[in-house]
Amino acid sequence: MAAFDLVVPETAEEAIAALQTLGPGEAAPIAGGTDLLHDVEEGRLLARRIISLRRLPWRTLDWNGNALTIGSTLPLRALEDDRQVRERYPGLYEAVRNVGSVALRHRATLGGNLVRSAPSSDLIPVLLTLDAEVDLVGPHGDRRVPVDRFVQASRRTDLRTGELVRSIRLPEARPSAFFWQRVRPSNDISQIVLAVAFAPAERSWRVAVGGVTPRPTLLAEAATALGAGRPSPDAVRRAAESASARAPFMTDRRASEEYRRRLVGTLLERAVASTVGTAGFPA
Amino acid sequence: MTPRPLRLTVNGRAVELVDVPASERLLDTLRWRLRSKGTKEGCRTGGCGACTVLVDGRTCLSCLTLTHEVDGTEVTTIEVGPEDAVVTRVRTAFEEAGALQCGYCTPGFVMALAGLLRERGTSATREELLEGVGGNLCRCTGYVAIVRAIESLRSGGP
Repeated sequence: MAAFDLVVPETAEEAIAALQTLGPGEAAPIAGGTDLLHDVEEGRLLARRIISLRRLPWRTLDWNGNALTIGSTLPLRALEDDRQVRERYPGLYEAVRNVGSVALRHRATLGGNLVRSAPSSDLIPVLLTLDAEVDLVGPHGDRRVPVDRFVQASRRTDLRTGELVRSIRLPEARPSAFFWQRVRPSNDISQIVLAVAFAPAERSWRVAVGGVTPRPTLLAEAATALGAGRPSPDAVRRAAESASARAPFMTDRRASEEYRRRLVGTLLERAVASTVGTAGFPA
Repeated sequence: MTPRPLRLTVNGRAVELVDVPASERLLDTLRWRLRSKGTKEGCRTGGCGACTVLVDGRTCLSCLTLTHEVDGTEVTTIEVGPEDAVVTRVRTAFEEAGALQCGYCTPGFVMALAGLLRERGTSATREELLEGVGGNLCRCTGYVAIVRAIESLRSGGP
């Protein structure tokens, strides 16, 4: 197993400084560690120094009206247990409670999921449909980046040397839904995930898909096909066809491209039906 | 290496550990440093739940947890004595339901259920309890008896 040392800073400033004491890529942050320790076990971790985020005051959940800011190191289980999250962000609630197992969710975090940026992430598609933004702190100050720009490919993000994800901001509550397909229902990596949300102010849909290459992605054409409100069965069918044709699916060890293309339309139909059935869906 | 000792409370007993490498996992600390072999190593990747313990009362996959990251916490394992009423209750339910075959996965199942009962209380629903063991695999596939144990926990016994 790779040898590394562990630093446990008390403040964000100390953590940012610690990240810069070695060369690029030689220091890595650890939040829940559930994915990072995989890399350690497989000898894939290059970092010689791990910076623990556990003492930073980022295990937070802050409401501002309907906007929600989620601290990057808040365990997923705490997010799932919040009644307001469940009511106002149903897609996020469904996605979070379907990650791994209960024990895993007591440690795993939203920040970690974003930074690890897995193409099969259960959480990134939902964040995309909610127009979520990532709040970063770093040696050159704070900045805010849309999730759609932050996530680039597996284990590759817009995070610069010395930067940390402090929180994730969801600008507005949206009727939303999340559906998955896996070999095993629990504690498995999804073959496909499909998230949809309806933005009530601008009256437009978002559709995002995971289990794709190189990263989870919004499907703009499918969203447009759904129209500006409750879609007709014909509109849903056109959106499903578009998702099936346009999603960047590939064959890998979890599923074939063909299987994914057949399945995605069904998941989209279910997700739209669930979203229009949400209590807050506008007339 | 650590400049000051790492402190854990394991099953009610305070332990101080020195020279624990940064990369050591809680699973290995329990099994090899503390010689507490009740907690089992299965996949080492969070896929099987055999290594489940409680950290400050919450379920934790000890194979995916650095020991230094739980410095100062209270760790509960399958070896905890009868003073832990919740773990004892789940252990008894497994015994009475005959919910084990080779027994390797049992400590993980018991701790996952004990953690769920600590979290949700005795009013935990059947669905919640089943979800609580969603990350636990029984390679003997002895799930019917495990579900029987879960149902006996639901109906107030043992």
